[in-house]
Parts: sequence; structure tokens; C-alpha cells
Amino acid sequence: MHDPIGKWGTAETTPTVRFFHERVRRLVAERIDKLGGDRAAAVSDHTGALLGAADLEAIERELLAGGHRFEFSATISIRERPDAYKAKPGTAAPAAGGGEAAAGDGRVEVGSGDNLVRRKQNLSGVARFISTLDQVTDMLINGVPPETVAVIDDSGGTLTAPILEGFAGVLCLGGTVRSHLGILTREYGIPCLMNCKLGAGLAHGDRVEVEYSAAAVSGGAYESGGAVRARIWKLPD
Amino acid sequence: MKLDYVRLLGANELIRKISDTTYWLCITRTVQESKLFPVPSYMLLSYLNAFYRWPELLRKVERVISAEECGDRAREASLKLNTVNAAWCLPAFYLLGRELLMALGLLRNDDAAEDVAYVMDFTRRFNLAYHRGDAHLTNKDFGDRSQLLPERTLQVFEADLFEVQPGDRLHTAATQLTSQLAQYSFLAHCECRIGIHNSGPYRFGDGRELLVRDWFDLAEGDYPWLDGIATGLPHNNLSIPVVLCGTHFHLVDDWGSFECEPAYSADNVVAVGLYTSDALTEGYQPVAMEDRDTLAATMERYRDIVKQATADLWKRIAGWSRDQMMDGGALVYSTVVKDFAHLAGIYDPAEWMCIDERAARFKPMLNDEYGRDALGELVGLLSVPTQQVNEYSMARTSNAAHHMMSALPYSVLAGGGFAPGAGPLQPGSSSLPPKTGAYTTSRGRLELAEYNRLAADFRPRAQAPEFRYLDDEWVKSHWRTPQADALYRLSQEHSRSLRGQGAGLRRADLARLKKP
Repeated sequence: MHDPIGKWGTAETTPTVRFFHERVRRLVAERIDKLGGDRAAAVSDHTGALLGAADLEAIERELLAGGHRFEFSATISIRERPDAYKAKPGTAAPAAGGGEAAAGDGRVEVGSGDNLVRRKQNLSGVARFISTLDQVTDMLINGVPPETVAVIDDSGGTLTAPILEGFAGVLCLGGTVRSHLGILTREYGIPCLMNCKLGAGLAHGDRVEVEYSAAAVSGGAYESGGAVRARIWKLPD
Repeated sequence: MKLDYVRLLGANELIRKISDTTYWLCITRTVQESKLFPVPSYMLLSYLNAFYRWPELLRKVERVISAEECGDRAREASLKLNTVNAAWCLPAFYLLGRELLMALGLLRNDDAAEDVAYVMDFTRRFNLAYHRGDAHLTNKDFGDRSQLLPERTLQVFEADLFEVQPGDRLHTAATQLTSQLAQYSFLAHCECRIGIHNSGPYRFGDGRELLVRDWFDLAEGDYPWLDGIATGLPHNNLSIPVVLCGTHFHLVDDWGSFECEPAYSADNVVAVGLYTSDALTEGYQPVAMEDRDTLAATMERYRDIVKQATADLWKRIAGWSRDQMMDGGALVYSTVVKDFAHLAGIYDPAEWMCIDERAARFKPMLNDEYGRDALGELVGLLSVPTQQVNEYSMARTSNAAHHMMSALPYSVLAGGGFAPGAGPLQPGSSSLPPKTGAYTTSRGRLELAEYNRLAADFRPRAQAPEFRYLDDEWVKSHWRTPQADALYRLSQEHSRSLRGQGAGLRRADLARLKKP
């Protein structure tokens, strides 16, 4: 008898994966005997005798009926199926992060991040939170406002593809210096902090100073734990 | 292929090597994410597609051209059959598809044993030939380094690359083209990095190192979504060899990514060039390398084309449905080895640019949360039940009792009713508009039938029987022979500085031969 968990296995650790996998395993186990031990038919399963899309749709319905809503990563997912995904959190207020400390010169430290490339000096600009296709489309048509320090909650390299070159600086709220956005800003020579943690005191339109002159974080620093964080200050009005 | 004990030992050795290397790559990178594309979900879809389709597609290729001959071809130029696409993605994606199907109870670990052993054997033969220059199976085996090219190619690069300084026209043009190609490549590949490749480094003397930087599938070609995009670009693939001074590339990994000390800066680039290659070229073909002004002007023009293409393609993709984004990403990933079919001259979009119905049935499961978490369990946590091994085991990097990719049990040699493979190709589909445009090649924009005909008839002269087995080890003691001269002259044929010079050159000779 086929035992997909095996001698040393346990069920998956994340709830949604476990939910789907346990039910699929059960369905397949029930149906596999009907093939009469024909492993070639089972492995190819070109008729969908063991599993079909309708089975997975039924499992999803069961999960959603219990009140579960999926977390989204791509905005298209929640746009197409708002009832299946959790509501989108606000984009202007960062989720969590570093504390806030006054520097004594009017600057208020509002966060930190991993510096990609050490620059000769810090950079000041206007923080603009960018997380939607509509925002990118607007900047593609009307141009990127000058002095934009883009605060991007996506370490990928495609959301801001047509406008990235126009940013004076980037603060990425995820990823590492090895992420796609890190690779691209390095190629463009755009100052960039990855893996930023921001306090709640920074809002769209605030003037900021970013410590792009801080030491660069090498990829290996994530394994050794030796990364030095570059600071982000909100500037007085 | 018929299984025997030695073949099975070899298959399991490679499975474990790819498993260990992939775990290291995954934990030292970051979660793949994008607000535009449902990346982890389409990655899982692509793995399933790879499992069901690749064994049969690769067998079709090998009826025309062997894996090792493909490796020889890929080693001599920059083809998309490279470190990341063929040497790593091929075994890794296939095995991850298998692992997911085992976790779902649809496969046993002895199922598809002949397919698994064949894909591993194909991978080994390709990788050994591709890496013949440095004689390793993977970049990881070589300490995260790849030295693929022979002296005869590197001498042409060294003699012909143009020296640049920050601020001069060519330096600026090269820097801007490089960044724009990278940006466009991520978009054209639906957020995947597999359109970008780096190999090397090579020692260029005086504290200088060469890195060969490549970008693939830039123009109208295999991807249906590039129809009408970048039509002004006459090349589908571009390579920019760059020489950096005072920068040491200490890592060029199996994803074709690099790290260096100090961090990569265009300010440290001291020489550049521009080349193209594809299934129809004799190695690297220079692009606008006649003089530095022509090269700078060409790079500026290509940069403008690619910049416009980035905006055009972004607007097109921004209008895609989620299903189209799933298919686009999954097709990018599950066609990483399509260029084997181009080398064979048998490429058929109906076979390659589709999601097998056996993979497509999983789409209702592949929501964003499932995709993120299942991929995390599969390649990060290694918490899928089939990945667990006996409690005394310690994996290479994690020291835990798990492996990302399960081995084949040796019991298959004693029979036992397992299925040899996933069976013949089944129908597939795509939610994206079908391919209608031309194929951009080094011989112009072609219809597919003509492209396949030319590819089937073409064999680079360096791969002819009299040259194929002449490596640098042979050159060491035969460099004075007419045969060596003939071999070197093949690589020098389009060189501005070294045309006809033959095999006797050393680095010290290049400076006097270098033409401005």
C-alpha cells in the first residue's frame, strides 16, 4: 500500500498547504485502487481519474466556507477574486519596524535598511510609497516627480519596470541585497536600501534623508549575521 | 534508458548534489515575490509541467543531437542553454515537480524511475560537456565559478574589447544598455532571472577580471507575448563582456548570479564589447565592434529600443488576467530548456509553449497563499513529508534530517510494479494569445519552418570532427601545428585585431596587435 507520509514524515506545517495536501492524498488513496494496480495509468493519469480540477475546486470551497481567506501577493489575485482573499492593507503606513529617535538637529530617525552599495554621501528627497499598477501608470504617463525616494513594498523587478530609472533613491520594504530589485538598482546606479523597517511616523510626501553612505551589506552577511543597518531620517518640514 | 545499478548510483548522486546546491541557493537568496506576478504559484505550475513533459521532449531532441553535443555547442558561445537554464533548472525543476506530486500522493518514489534516471543522465552529459573547460559538473563544485571558454575565445575578447573610462561616451552607453537590458529581461521573463546570465571570472592580468554578461530572448521569438515588442532590435541574444579593475568576483553561482568585492560598480569597468550568438552562429559574433564610436552609437540605439520595449511590454502585461500571468510565468520556467529543440532544429511551440493538461488541473489549488507556503515548504523549510529521511541523517547545509529532492530507491532494480515514466506527451493549452510573429535570429527575422531548417542543417565548424576534441590541454603541446592554427583562426575569423593570427599568441602579444 502506498504511504505518502512515509516512516519519517509528518504533515506539512503551513495550514493552507496541509489542508489541500491532506485532502488530495485522501482522495487519491481512495481512487487509486480502482485502477487495479496499474501504476503506469496512475502516474500518467492523463484521464484525470485520480485527480481533476473539479476536486481541487471543491477542496477550496470547503476551505473558504470555513471562513478562511487567502493572503495575496500579486495584486491581480485580490482584484479578480476579492471574496477569496483577505482585504488589502493600507499602503501608506508601513507595517512595523524600527523605532523613532530625534537626532537633535530636527531629523527624526524613522527606520533602517540594508545598504546595497556604499555611496559617497547621503541623499535627501521626498518619500513616495508606490505599490499599485495605477501609481506606476500615472508616473509612466506624467513622469516621476523629481527627488522621489520610492518606498516599494515589493522586492521584485517588474512592478516599477518602466519608471525605476527615474527614482532618485529606493527604500524597499522587503527582500535582501540579492533580490531582483537590488540587482536592478545596482545596475542603474540608483541608491537603494533593501529589507527596510520603517516606523509609523513616515508618510507619503515626507522629506527624508537616507544614509546611503553606510557600509554596503554583502550577501554573505545574512548568513554570518554581520549586517550593519543604514538609517532613514524624516526631515523637518 | 535501461536501468542498472551503476546508472542508478549516478542518478542518485546527481539528485543529492542538485538538492544540496538548490537548498543553499534558496536560503541565501530571498523569497521570490512580485506585486505584479503570482510568482511562487506559477513556479509550482512550471515544476509540474516540467515533470510531465520534459522527458519526452528531451528524448525527441536526442534523436537528433545528443546532450553532450548540445553542451559542446553551448560552451563555445552564449546560448540560453547555460548555467542557470540547462545546468541547474533542468534537473531542479523536474525533481521539484516530482517531489510535489509525491507529496500529493500521486507518485511513489519509485514511479517514473526511468524518466528520472534519464533526465539525470541527460543533465550529467550536458553539464560535463558544457563545463569541459573547467572540468566540473556545476559552478558550486568549482567553488562558485565557471570558466567555460577556451583561450582562443578569450584572446579575441582581450584584444578586441574597447577600453573605457567613467564618463566617456562608450562607458556611459554600455552602462545604460546593461541596466536597461536587465530591467527588460526581468519583465520579458515574467519576473524570472533566467534571461540574465553571468559566467567567469577570467583572469585578465594587472588586477583585472573578465565577466561575460548575457541577456536572452530579447526580441520577437519564442515568447508569444513579445510579438510586436522590440521589433527594432536585430538580435535575440546579446552578450557584453566586461573587464573590471580592482574588483574580484568571488562568487558566480549556479543561478548565473555574481558577487564581488568591492560591490559591483560601473565605475570599475575598464573594457567592454558587444556580441551575439544563437543556434545558427559560429561562436560569438561581434556587434558593431568595428570602432568605439560605432559601438557607442549602437549601444545607445539599442538602449532606446529596449527602454521603449520595456514600457510597451509593461502596459501589455498590466492588462493580463491572473490566469495569463500564471501561464506566462509557468511557460518561461518550463521552457528553460527549449533551446535544445532549437539546436536540433525541431522547435515546435505547440509542444513547448503550453501547459500540459495534467499540470493545468492543479490551477485551482495554486492561489497566492498556497503558492507562497508550498514553495516555502518545498525549498526552504523542507517540511514536505516525502523530504524527511531517517533521524540519524544530517543534510549538508542544514544538518537536519531532510533532503529537498528524494532519491530513487534501489529496489527498482528488482522490479516491483513501478511505472517507468509519465507516458507520452498529452495535450496542453495556454490562456495567452498564440504566437504569430517572426523569430529573430542571427540570419534575420525568420518564419519558424525556415529557422528549424537552417538549425537542423547547421553545425559550427569548431564542432566538426577534426576540431571537436581539441581543447586547451591538447593545445598545450600542439600549438605549433597547422591544426591548432586552423582552430584558432576559426575563433579569430571576425576579430578586429586577431584575424588570421593563429595559435601562437600569448597575452604579451595582444597589446601590439590590438587595433583601436
